[in-house]
Amino acid sequence: MTGLASPPMPRPLRRLARLALAAAACATALLPAVAAAQETIRFGAPLPMTGPLAPEALKQQQGYDLWAEQVNKAGGINVGGRRMKVEIVYIDYQSNTPRAVQAAERLITQEKVHFLFSPFGSGAAKAASTVSEKHGVPTIAPTASSAQVYDQGYKNLFGTFTPNETLTEPLANIVAQKAPGVKRVAILARNDLFPLAIAQEMEKSAKARGMNVVMFERYAINTMDHSAVMAKIKSVSPHWIFATGYINDLVLIKKQMADQRIEAPVVTMIAGPAYQEFIDAAGKGAENISSAAWWHPAARYKGTDVFGTSENYNKLFQARYKTEPDYAQASASVAGVLFQMAIEKAGTLDRAKVRETLAGMNVMTFYGPVTFGPTGQITSLEPPVFQIQNGRNVVVHPPSIRQGEFRLGVK
Amino acid sequence: MFLLQILANGIVLGCLYACIAAGFSLVWGVLNVINLMHGSFIVLGSYLAWAAYNGLGISPWITLLVAAPLFYGAGWLMQRGVLNRVIAAPVLVTLTLTFGLDLMLNNAMLLAFKADYRKLILDPPLGTLALGSVVVPVDRLVAMLFALVLTAALYLILRKSRVGRAIIAVRLDRDAATLMGVHVKSIYAAAFGFGAAMAGCAGVLLALIFPISPLSSTAYLGKAFVVCVLGGLGSVPGAVLGGLVLGILESFGAMAFGPEHAVTLSFGLLILFLIFRPQGLIGRRGFD
Amino acid sequence: MTTGARNALLVGAVLLLAALPLVGDTYALRLGTFACMYAVMAVSWNVIGGMAGYPSFATAAFFGLGAYAGGVLLSKGGGLAGALLLSGTLAFAGAMLLGVVLLRLRGHYFAVASLAVAEVLRELANTATDLTGGGMGLNIPLAATSGGPQAEASFYFLLMWALLLLTLGVVLALERSRLGFGLQCIRQNESAADMIGVNATLYKSLAFAISGVFVAMAGTVYAAWVHYIEPPDVFDILFSVKPIVMALLGGLGSTAGALLGAFAFLAIEETVWRNSLEIHTGLLGLLIVVLLLFLPNGIVSLARRLRGSGASGG
Repeated sequence: MTGLASPPMPRPLRRLARLALAAAACATALLPAVAAAQETIRFGAPLPMTGPLAPEALKQQQGYDLWAEQVNKAGGINVGGRRMKVEIVYIDYQSNTPRAVQAAERLITQEKVHFLFSPFGSGAAKAASTVSEKHGVPTIAPTASSAQVYDQGYKNLFGTFTPNETLTEPLANIVAQKAPGVKRVAILARNDLFPLAIAQEMEKSAKARGMNVVMFERYAINTMDHSAVMAKIKSVSPHWIFATGYINDLVLIKKQMADQRIEAPVVTMIAGPAYQEFIDAAGKGAENISSAAWWHPAARYKGTDVFGTSENYNKLFQARYKTEPDYAQASASVAGVLFQMAIEKAGTLDRAKVRETLAGMNVMTFYGPVTFGPTGQITSLEPPVFQIQNGRNVVVHPPSIRQGEFRLGVK
Repeated sequence: MFLLQILANGIVLGCLYACIAAGFSLVWGVLNVINLMHGSFIVLGSYLAWAAYNGLGISPWITLLVAAPLFYGAGWLMQRGVLNRVIAAPVLVTLTLTFGLDLMLNNAMLLAFKADYRKLILDPPLGTLALGSVVVPVDRLVAMLFALVLTAALYLILRKSRVGRAIIAVRLDRDAATLMGVHVKSIYAAAFGFGAAMAGCAGVLLALIFPISPLSSTAYLGKAFVVCVLGGLGSVPGAVLGGLVLGILESFGAMAFGPEHAVTLSFGLLILFLIFRPQGLIGRRGFD
Repeated sequence: MTTGARNALLVGAVLLLAALPLVGDTYALRLGTFACMYAVMAVSWNVIGGMAGYPSFATAAFFGLGAYAGGVLLSKGGGLAGALLLSGTLAFAGAMLLGVVLLRLRGHYFAVASLAVAEVLRELANTATDLTGGGMGLNIPLAATSGGPQAEASFYFLLMWALLLLTLGVVLALERSRLGFGLQCIRQNESAADMIGVNATLYKSLAFAISGVFVAMAGTVYAAWVHYIEPPDVFDILFSVKPIVMALLGGLGSTAGALLGAFAFLAIEETVWRNSLEIHTGLLGLLIVVLLLFLPNGIVSLARRLRGSGASGG
């Protein structure tokens, strides 16, 4: 380059330019997304699509998508005579609770969703519920069972899992009835909101039936090795081993039980055995492991919702995803179903009216009877207890949908 | 006899820890680089073993032989291509760089393998072995033996081969080594390659024992840190000793204080060692 | 531009931010609160990491400590002012005590030790269930404001913003003080600094303490803001790594650089998160890698290079 150089930009101006650039970058980050066409009803779904909880997010997404597909196939939701289609807006919060809260806020204020599904699990659902409450957006939590999630006095939060004791009580009942010799109980819980809360409930249920809780241990999240606990369990010779955690924890625990040749008449695990992935990963060791959940594909409810019967739900799910649904996907689907039923009954998208309708709801769905209690948590379910027999989940309670008898002996 | 079981658990676990940490220790000691991708390398090795077994029916022991050169090559390239640019940079830069690389690797694995938990189940299963009243799972035992063999192999390579001795030389005195004709950049790449190979092989072995998922990488990394500090950097026998100490302490600690304190215990130990004995148990600043 | 003028300009920009509640919705205010929080962390980290040259990974430890100390007090009925005072004091005292021991280490060892402190504190919070709720988390009651979401969001934004101003005030004053000069000496050659009479141990500990006190207070504000915290959320290792990336982004060693880096990082993070559902983690990693390989001295150096090429002419 020849000739006279152009004078360099004065320094203060350059600094200003850089600041302006940074400001512009910030501003673009703040620009709201282009508003969607108003003929659709937008539901926000913050999910942990990356990070430790990603497998759970997948299930939730399957449930929501199946519902949206069914509704739109039938023409959409009937809002006071006008049919509007459903759109689900997903945001990934990276299994990070603060991000889940941020995602909820973004969905409400930027993406302008009409209603919200909670993030996965009790902790994130609780944290994000504050945002919903502040903005008055009705929110349904498909995966939050601990009563602590609903104890902030909020009016806009509803949940489709009954409290933890509705799982532990029937379990304790069955064991007390079918295995009266069971007296010593060992409990191992992951140090996390749901697994710890339900373990504490189990302790109560067991004690209430005169059983002796000989061990109650918590293990840290990300524990790689349970051999010390296994040795301890062995030393107290329990009749009933109750372990809580997420699927990978429980697979490892079962394996290490086998490694140490620990056997017991009853082994119960929450929340892995309901998933096919657990049965696959645990192999033969899964035999006779019992568990409980809020729904099971063996259920036979006749609902008045877009899916109708439980069998129909199973059929549609199988057709789309080539596998049987478990309670996680069913709960996600029913969350959508409940919004639909509330909107159609209220005849409007007005959030306050929809909220009121949800609060007073009393309906039968493919998922079971739905009535919400004063805290917003569902109170009407009778969670099934089931057991892995011959590599399949078999319901042993309630009697109305029982498929088999409770068996003893886990190797 | 209960105590003997705890001890046995601790020893087996300790050897696994040693295998996890040996490569990490080598890289940290020789290149002065804390490779935060180490945990992800291990997970990648596990996925390799799983894919080979479930997809092609190849036994993990064979995958082990393939994994070593494969990971060595990948590590060599990574060091030569990327890490070499910042080899003289302050600690901060190298740590943050490997952190960023690890984020990328983790995301890639998540995309490739999804986040479902996989488990490599051998068919027929290896079962358990009973020695008196002590029960030891055979898969852990075999993994432990292989781990010891691998670490011994590394030790021998470092002592006996040309490359190995050059690595030692660079570790002791970089400038003198250069004067002696050692091509330092290649040596750094070789050392990193060995570290990656150890990680990959450890991953193959661990696939038999732990569930496989990208999320385990931080757990493995955490253990590697503690073992290195306990045993002393850059020292293979140090990694073995550190691993054993950690494994046994964790086992007895969990029995005494409860399993929920396991992580607190190991990191607390780490801090204590850093404060009072940063050179680790074996205590020499050189390599061994 | 002189350092003084540069600093004045940036502080001016921060002061302008106070207008955000008037023009932004609750989401913008949320972003703004995060921006101020990140800035507090980056500027604080720079004191121990940039000025003193000790690569600290303890930011998450301080943040979590503040979140829990303040959070527990708030949940037992204490006021916000008391909670801030408590967490600030605890962090300062804790860092001074810990510093005496930890700061004898250098380089990698110091980095690892500071990281381990965060891990240990997290597990302690996890196991002290009676005090902190353990793995089940801690409920923090809503603070006094009840004027709707906009009012509450504005309140917390202004609170975090005020904290940022306080941090900037202290740190900028520190830069010009004897302590600041002493830290520079320590960074360049600690033994030499000792010989010329700089009380290295005291200065380092003070730097470490200052790097912790405002971060802890930010943790308390954060806890009050989100109403519910769990140990893995507030002791997240990313809270230790991100401030370092921010400081590197802006230009290591200068407070202005840390501030600029924090805002730029937030903008980039938000843009990446919005636009790429599946690869945003990887993109963040890529950003870090590119930054470190090609711009090791931060944005500031990029500007210097542009300035340089402009002046040299054809």
